[in-house]
Amino acid sequence: MKKSSKMKTFFKTLGNLFKKPVTTKYPFEQTYIPDDYRGMIGFDEKLCIWCRRCEMVCPPGAIVFSQDMEGKQTYHFNRAVCIYCTECVRACPKEGAIYQTAEPAKYALKEENINKVWNSLFEEALKSRAAYAFKKKRLAADKIAIKKPGDEK
Amino acid sequence: MGKQYEIPMGAQHISLLEPLHFKFTTENEKIIDATANVFYVHRGIEQACCSKFKFRQVSFVVGRVCGLCSISHSTAYSQVAEKLVKIEIPRRAKYLRMLVIELDRIHSHLLCLSHVAENSGFEALFMKTMQYREFSMELLEAVCGNRIQYDFSIVGGVARDLKPQVGQLILERLKKFKSQLDELVDIYQNNWTLSLKNKRAGAINREDAIRLNVAGPFARAAGLAVDVRNETEDLLPWKEVGFEIVTDSAGDVHARNMVRLHELFVSIRIIENIINGLPESALVTETKAFPDGEAAVRLEAPRGELFYYAKGNKTQILERLKIKAPTFSNVAAMVEAFKGNEYGSIPAIVASYDPCLSCTSR
Amino acid sequence: MKRIETTLENLKNEIRNFYNPELNHFIVINAVDLGEKIEVQWFFTDNASPFTITAICIQIEPVIEIPSITDIVASAWVAEAELVDLMDIKIEKTARGFVLEPDFESGPLRKKK
Repeated sequence: MKKSSKMKTFFKTLGNLFKKPVTTKYPFEQTYIPDDYRGMIGFDEKLCIWCRRCEMVCPPGAIVFSQDMEGKQTYHFNRAVCIYCTECVRACPKEGAIYQTAEPAKYALKEENINKVWNSLFEEALKSRAAYAFKKKRLAADKIAIKKPGDEK
Repeated sequence: MGKQYEIPMGAQHISLLEPLHFKFTTENEKIIDATANVFYVHRGIEQACCSKFKFRQVSFVVGRVCGLCSISHSTAYSQVAEKLVKIEIPRRAKYLRMLVIELDRIHSHLLCLSHVAENSGFEALFMKTMQYREFSMELLEAVCGNRIQYDFSIVGGVARDLKPQVGQLILERLKKFKSQLDELVDIYQNNWTLSLKNKRAGAINREDAIRLNVAGPFARAAGLAVDVRNETEDLLPWKEVGFEIVTDSAGDVHARNMVRLHELFVSIRIIENIINGLPESALVTETKAFPDGEAAVRLEAPRGELFYYAKGNKTQILERLKIKAPTFSNVAAMVEAFKGNEYGSIPAIVASYDPCLSCTSR
Repeated sequence: MKRIETTLENLKNEIRNFYNPELNHFIVINAVDLGEKIEVQWFFTDNASPFTITAICIQIEPVIEIPSITDIVASAWVAEAELVDLMDIKIEKTARGFVLEPDFESGPLRKKK
C-alpha cells in the first residue's frame, strides 16, 4: 500500500500521454472573449461640444485637438499610445460623443511610423491653438482701442 | 578547512524569473556568505509621478509598476489619494475592490507554486498547476476587461460594475476549482521526491524572522501571525467577509508552499461571500478638491505588506510619493537565509521567496 | 499617522526607546525635499488591530551626516543604501553605488532650482 501511494503521481503523469493537449491554438482557434471587452474608442463629431476635457484627463496623452484660423476644431487620436482606460468617456459631459466599443484595436505596422507622425502632429496642434488664441486676443484689443477714441467724442 | 570559491549567479539565469544578482562564497558546496544586487529594473516612477502626471492620472501609472500585483498598487494609491482629498468611497466600491484583490491573489500564488515545482525539477507538476491557473485569468478578463493590467481602481471608487451573469460564472468556475485544489494540496504535501528537495531547505527560524522584519507568506511560514488584513477595519472590511489567518511553524520551503495553498481556500470563501452579499450603492464619489497634507496606507499584496506615503501641496501635481514593496523588506532576510545551505538548492529557495523585482526597484 | 518630531542628537535614543522587536515592525526610511532643508522620516507600525503608523522625523541640512540604525534594526541597510543614492544625503557606513551607476548624476529626486 505504501509503495503504491509513492507511485500514485507517477502513474497519473503517465496517463497524460494518452490525453489530448490543453493548449488552445490561438489565433487559429478563438479564446474566451467577454462581451464588454475594453476595445477601440469611437468619436461622434455631431454631439461634441469641443470643451477639450477628454484631452486634459487622458493619462498617456493620446487625444489632441487642433484648431484652424476660423476657430473650427478637429479631433486626433493615437491608437498605439492609448491604454483604453475610459477616463475620457467618464469625463465627457455629453453622453455619446466619445464612447468605447468592444472590438480590439488594430495593431500598428512599421510602415505607418505611428509615433514619429504623432509627435509632430501633437506639436503642430498645440501651436495652431496658441496661434488662434493670440489672434482672438489681438482682435479684442483692437476693438477696445477703436471704441475708446469714439467714446471720448 | 577547504578552499573558498566565489560563484556569481548572474542577472541572466535559466531558472530566474526576475533579474537578480548574487555573489556566493562557498566551501565544499556549502554557502558561507552572500551579497545581493537588486536594482536592475529601476525606472524612476516616483520621480515621474511628482513631475509629469496629475494626481488623478497617477493611479494608472502606478498600476504598471508590477505585472502580478497591479491591483494592489492602484488600490493602495487610490486609498492614500482619497485620504489627501478627504472623501469616503461607497460600500459597493469597497466590496468590488476586495473581490479583484482576492482573484489576483489566486493567480499570483499559483504562479509562485508552479515556479517552485519547476526549480525542484518536477516539470509535470509545473504544467499541471499552470493548467489549473488558466481559469482565473479568464475570470479577471470578464470582471476587469483585461488579463494583466486591470486599471480598475480610480481615485474615488472603481471604474466598472459587476454584472449578475459574471457573478454566476465566477461561482460556477470556483466550484470546479475546489476539487482541483484538493488534488494539488495532496501532491505538494505527500509526494516523496518533492519533500526531499523542499523540506529543511532555506529555513529561517522565528527569532531571525522577528529580528529581520520580514513580511508576507515568508513570515507566516516561520510562525509570525502578521497580515495587514488582520489588523485594519476602516478602509476595507476584511473581517466582515470571512478572513482568517494561516500560519505554519517550520519556516522552510515546504511550509511556505502549504501556507500559500491554504490561503487559496480562504480566498475562495471570501469571493463567494462577496458575490452573495454585494450591497447596492453608487460606484464613484465625485469631488473637486485638491490634495493637501500627508497620509500613509498599508495593504496586503500577494507577496506581503505594501506601503504608500504621499504628500500634497494644493495643486494638481503631488509633492512626494514613496512606495515600499514587500520584497524590499525581504531582501535582507534572503541574504541571511542562504547561509548553511547546499549550492544545488539555490533555485528552489529563490523561487520560494517569490521575489518581484519590478516592485522593489521601481 | 502619528508624527514624533526630534533632533539629530536625540535620534538614536528616541528610536531605541520606541522600538520593541516583539511589538513593532520597521517599514522604511523616507526623505522629503523641503527646499532649504531635508526632512528624514523613519516609519514604524505596531501589530495591533487597528494599526497605527508612527513616523519619527528630523529636519537637517543636506550636508550633515545621519547616524545609521543597523545596530537597532538589522535590516535597515537596504533602505539607507537607496536613500544615499537617490536623495544625495550622507549616512554613516553607507557607500554609493547600490542603486545607480557610479557615473550617473546623484540625487535625481531632489528638486531642481
